[in-house]
Parts: sequence; C-alpha cells; structure tokens
Amino acid sequence: MRFTKAIVPITLCLLLACFAVPAQKKKGRTAEQHSKPIVVSAIDNDALKALLTQQRERPLLVNFWATYCDPCRDEFPDLVKIDKEYRPQSLEFVTVSLDDMTDIKTGVPKFLSDMKATMPAYLLNTTDPEPAINMVDQRWRGDLPATFLYNEKGEVVYKHIGRINPAELREAIDKVVKKGS
Amino acid sequence: MKRNLSILLASLLVIAGAVLAIGARAEGEVPAPPAIGATIDDFTLPDVDNKDHSLKSLAGKNGTVLLFIAVQCPVSNAYNERMEKLAADYKAKGIAVIGINSNVAEDAAAVKAHAAEHKLTFPILKDSGNKIADKLGASVTPEAYFIDMNNKLLYHGRIDNSRNSAQVETSDLRNALDAALANKAVEKTEAKAFGCSIKRS
Repeated sequence: MRFTKAIVPITLCLLLACFAVPAQKKKGRTAEQHSKPIVVSAIDNDALKALLTQQRERPLLVNFWATYCDPCRDEFPDLVKIDKEYRPQSLEFVTVSLDDMTDIKTGVPKFLSDMKATMPAYLLNTTDPEPAINMVDQRWRGDLPATFLYNEKGEVVYKHIGRINPAELREAIDKVVKKGS
Repeated sequence: MKRNLSILLASLLVIAGAVLAIGARAEGEVPAPPAIGATIDDFTLPDVDNKDHSLKSLAGKNGTVLLFIAVQCPVSNAYNERMEKLAADYKAKGIAVIGINSNVAEDAAAVKAHAAEHKLTFPILKDSGNKIADKLGASVTPEAYFIDMNNKLLYHGRIDNSRNSAQVETSDLRNALDAALANKAVEKTEAKAFGCSIKRS
C-alpha cells in the first residue's frame, strides 16, 4: 500500500520530466534561430536629416542615446517594450547612438543585443555633432537621452529630453498611431 | 473609526503620489544657463582636500575657464590630456582653469584619485548638491564656461568638436580664449556641449 502511494507521485514526476526536457530543448533552439546579430549602421548628418524629415506612411519615434549615458541605459528596457508593443500598430522606431565610430561594432551592438533591442540602430557618423543636434531641434542642448516623435509629415509632435516617462510617451504615441492598422 | 482610517490612508496615498509625480518631473530637468554677457556671481566650493576656495581667489587676471568634469564619464576622460594642456597653455597668459565635479556619486576622494591618476594639475572643486551646476545650468561633462576678469560670461559649451582628439577641427573654447586675449569679440559664443549628463542629487 505504502509502495503504491509512493509510486504515483514518482511516475507523475518522471512523466513531467519527459515532457519538460524536450520543451526546454525546443525553447533553446527557437531562441537560437531568432537571435540575429545586431547590425548598427553609420548615418551622417544629411542622411539623418532625410530620415527624420521625409514624409512617411507611419509615425516615427527616434531615441538619441549613448552607451556612456546612464539614464539612456536605464530607460532602454522601457523603449524595447514600447517598440514591441507599438510596432504592430504601425509605429516606426529607430535609435541613433552618439557613441564614437570605434564603438559601432563593439560596445553599441553588444548593449543592444543585451537589451534584446530589435529596432533599426544607427550611429551618428560625424566629426562634429552640433549641426545634427541643431537640425533635430535648435533648443536641444545635445544632452542625452533625447526622444522625438514625428508624425507622417515629418513634424515633431512630441519630444522629451532626459529619461522618458513611459506612460507619457505611450500617451503621445497613442495620439498618432492608427490602431489595428 | 474604519471610515476615518480609510480617509487617512487615501490622503496618504494622494500625498505619496503627488511627491512621486513631482520627483519624476524634476528628473532630467536642468536649469537654463545664464545668457552670454551675464555676470557670474562669486561662489565658494571646497577642493578635493576640503579646503574652501572662492572663484575670486582662483580667477586668472585675464579670465577664468570653469570646466565641469567627471571621474567615470568616458567623454570627459577623453578630454583629460586636452584639459590639462589647456590649463598649462593659458596659465602663462593669465587665464585660469578650474575643474568642477558636480556628480553626486563621485566624492572628493574619488576626484582626488582620478586627478592624480590622469595628472590633472589644475584645481578641481567639489560641487556637492550640484549648486553651481544648477546656477550655471551645466548639463553634461565636459562642459565649459569662460568668464572674463569681471566675471562676464563670454563663452559656454563644448571644448572642441570631437571626443576623438585626432578628429578635432574646431577648438571652440581655445578660439574664445584667444579672441578675448586679443581684445576681440568672441565669434562663436556658444557651441553645444556633448558628454555624460551630470548626475544630480
């Protein structure tokens, strides 16, 4: 009787283990299949201007950041969540790093990979960031992070200098995205 | 009794929410810097050995450069040699360079060790509570302010155009100092500073 009582949970455990092991293996394989290396593209002042000001089909969210900027690193998990949440709702989201060009294949993609960030990533390739900063916003002093939301006409409809407030940013995005499109 | 307790709890929640909201709004906001031509008031800050110095006591006879710098910021650190050279080059010309560290997480001992390690010989003051950073609207490191012998602000912004010393094309701060020494008007009075945000308390 005691043996019968003991065998039931043991059998159950064994059965569960049989199902759990292949499930775990499958999960691991899937993660490997989906993990593409992150490519960070260099973008110069003119290309950045074209990217930001052109007319487009979808609103565009742009986050300027750098690996050396603590508040940028701190807010990144929220940005990744927002990207995943709103990309299906027709929001384009790109990040522009102001790191040094020497970081384009090292520190920048490593951080983005750690963050599981999948939005297109750029690094500002310039010897002088001031024209780009002024082009984005005359009143922006270049401090990071800085987040700008553009509508389809290429007009800034929301901006935030410093660490984002996710609720406030979501509210701004909600006003411009076409839900369900 | 229960109702009173509920009211008290609700009030406390509202107060806590308001405090959090104010804190969240204050984060990342930097006071506006003084306009070019404004006079910077004298101030006193301790050095890394906790000895007080007034701006007046450290000022150069032909002007003073205030440089907001950091211990851990890679951008500020990329400028260590350039800042030291700037201080050495202009000392003989009567312009003093003063470093200011306003980062809350970098104490005087860390600032002292960093200066020794990187051979920074110009005076560095510790701005606890970021009072001077707030007064001057400094937002990043490195960020420079050049004032004349009457504390009039002549230039505010970056040291030069690039973190990478091999790519320097425009030495905005040096240009401002040279213009002032030659009794000429500074052509470019502002150039946007880039670097790590100052960690305020």
